[in-house]
Amino acid sequence: MGVHIFGKSIKHNYLVRIGLSKAIFGIGYNTAERICAKIGIYPQMRMNQLTEPQIMDLNKEISNMLVEGQLKQKINNDIKLKRDVGSFAGTRHALGLPVRGQGTRNNANTAKKLNKLERFRI
Amino acid sequence: MKASLSLLKRSVWKGPHVVPLPIADAIKNKTPIRTNARSCTILPQFVGIRFQIHNGKEYVEVEITDDMVGSKLGEYAATRRRFMYKYSKN
Repeated sequence: MGVHIFGKSIKHNYLVRIGLSKAIFGIGYNTAERICAKIGIYPQMRMNQLTEPQIMDLNKEISNMLVEGQLKQKINNDIKLKRDVGSFAGTRHALGLPVRGQGTRNNANTAKKLNKLERFRI
Repeated sequence: MKASLSLLKRSVWKGPHVVPLPIADAIKNKTPIRTNARSCTILPQFVGIRFQIHNGKEYVEVEITDDMVGSKLGEYAATRRRFMYKYSKN
């Protein structure tokens, strides 16, 4: 059982602000709280207590923001721009190494996993 | 939502970190500027000028484009080379 918001199914017993931040890429706890406050959802409200117009409002609010695919595309483009310009950060992304001056003598595993030219596959 | 983030980098009253460079000459004569100041911020006035930036060993020639504004000169002259194993004759 789930409530569908912005094409995502969210468990019905989640708090609204936490459910939003868990389900949607680009919305964290802070942003979710802010959205809820704007629409007039009190903080302790759960997903299954949402009424139909409130869900519509949430959808409308989120669709105006930079989230999910568009945000991923933007991040990819930003990395690509740095690479094309030939900056240090771009080359480090291409090599799969840390960008912000961390050491690489050992570990650097997070960077090896994440730092690529195409960070998100869409 | 976080419009102030770019302001958190450096105090506004200091302005960007820039060292005196012969920009007027470079625009007039179209000569590259040879510099060791890798930490100098790229200003909009630099666009189109060629720089020879020191990388610790030699001067790398870079032409400044629009996208580079706001970063430092040193970002475009890499100081490290990737290790390559060379086969030696023996």
